[in-house]
Amino acid sequence: MAQLTAHKRVLHADLQGDRIRAASGSMVAVEGNVDFKSAGMGGGGGMRAALKRAVAGESISLMDCTGHGRVYLALDAMDVLVVDLAGDTLTVESEHILAHTEQLRLDVQFAGLRGVTSGQGLATTTVTGHGQVALVSEGPVMALEVAPGQDLVVDPDAYVGSRGQLSMNLVSGVSWKSLVGEGSGEPFSLRFTGHGLVLVQSSER
Amino acid sequence: MTYPPGNPYGGQPGPGGNPYGQPQPGYGQPPPGYGQPPPGYGQPPPGYGQPPPGHGQPQPGYGGPPQPAAGPTGTTLNPQTLPDDDNVNPYVFCVSLSGDWFMSKGAMLAYYGNVRFEAVTEYSSVQGWVAARFSSPVYVQDWVVATGHGKVLIGDRGFDLNAYDLDDGNLTIKANNLCAFSPQLELKQSIVPGFVTLIGTGKFIASSNGPVIFVEPPFRADPEALLGWADCPSPSVHHDAQWMTQNIRAMVSGALGRASGEERQYDFTGTGTILLQSSEVAREDPAVLRLVESQTQLLTPSQAGSLGQRLVARAQQQH
Repeated sequence: MAQLTAHKRVLHADLQGDRIRAASGSMVAVEGNVDFKSAGMGGGGGMRAALKRAVAGESISLMDCTGHGRVYLALDAMDVLVVDLAGDTLTVESEHILAHTEQLRLDVQFAGLRGVTSGQGLATTTVTGHGQVALVSEGPVMALEVAPGQDLVVDPDAYVGSRGQLSMNLVSGVSWKSLVGEGSGEPFSLRFTGHGLVLVQSSER
Repeated sequence: MTYPPGNPYGGQPGPGGNPYGQPQPGYGQPPPGYGQPPPGYGQPPPGYGQPPPGHGQPQPGYGGPPQPAAGPTGTTLNPQTLPDDDNVNPYVFCVSLSGDWFMSKGAMLAYYGNVRFEAVTEYSSVQGWVAARFSSPVYVQDWVVATGHGKVLIGDRGFDLNAYDLDDGNLTIKANNLCAFSPQLELKQSIVPGFVTLIGTGKFIASSNGPVIFVEPPFRADPEALLGWADCPSPSVHHDAQWMTQNIRAMVSGALGRASGEERQYDFTGTGTILLQSSEVAREDPAVLRLVESQTQLLTPSQAGSLGQRLVARAQQQH
């Protein structure tokens, strides 16, 4: 089974005759015998997801890497983080997906108004199944815990993804507007409630 | 370039043990020396997420299957495990808020707790002390006051973040790189454009692209790489002698002179410490425009007109 390992700012993907999907153009080197094929606009999830994605503007362009050997993947020297999924769901901004193993399913979840304001698309991507997904971020990712009575408010630009039973609300208040300034793009913040983890990167824009 | 002897990044800035304090790395690892690439370039941030005792395990407790930790760090953070007024990792600082703090707009990444953010402009009408502490009209619209209780995480473009403690001292820093400061400190605008001075006793957080380098005067610094200075007098501008010879004629005739960027340096004298960052990449500072514009009040109307014409000509040249 394909194995993803984060190595500094490079992802090592070890293939044993199977397949992974990786962001188009992210391959920096390859050892062994690996075929690359554009997976098109798909990004997994079939026609239905592709259509939703087109409507939502959540763009993702992936390629199939098949064969035996090691593929080195990197994107703009951003930090790499590998998340193991065991049947649960990771919600993530599509621009942060570097690669994922074959068994995972990518789908689109409409996120309401948030996308309009953050310019990150109307929807977010959900990754479900058993396998590994590699994320890229500006600076290392912090996993912040959310529990009842322990809400978390996040700058939309610092938000990478989340997992667990979380609900995300848009917060728009005078307080927040004064924080980001008039006309500087982000009149909303994200408030997370419930149980789970929120992944936050260390750069706000 | 003379570094003070035995002065690694993060060490004592000077033999005298200067009171404004060295950056507190806080992430539990001696920072690298000068010769090394800044942390994070081809190297995982040292010690990021050293699990505090008892929190190294993924935290179960929310429904569904047991969640493995989100990252290779093997740790998750919550209000209890986040540090008090310390670095979470080299690029993120956690302010344990109880009361008020000044924060740069956009520096906040996330927060727990009950925190409100008020524009300095509005808050100062409610709280008189704010105007007394923040005496810089040029920068006032780029800052907010965070009030309440909670843990606020701040970051700046993924740059290195360091906290500095001032003890009845003064430190001047590039306004762009100042992220937050405690309200015990007083902020004033420096005579040098683009810089602000913090005076008093308290804590502030500043970013640097790469580790901070400490140097003692006499020293000439590239304006872009200059992060700030403490205790020594404000710098004068030094021009390269060769550049001067070539351009004196042009200056007499009134032209502004071409700039390659390297012929102009800031010249420091006296005693104190100079802070440098390893990068020269500058971000556009909106306050510089306001600053320069306010200076044009010195001009007579006809002078202002001819300056306007020159600026228009320059803008057209660049397009």
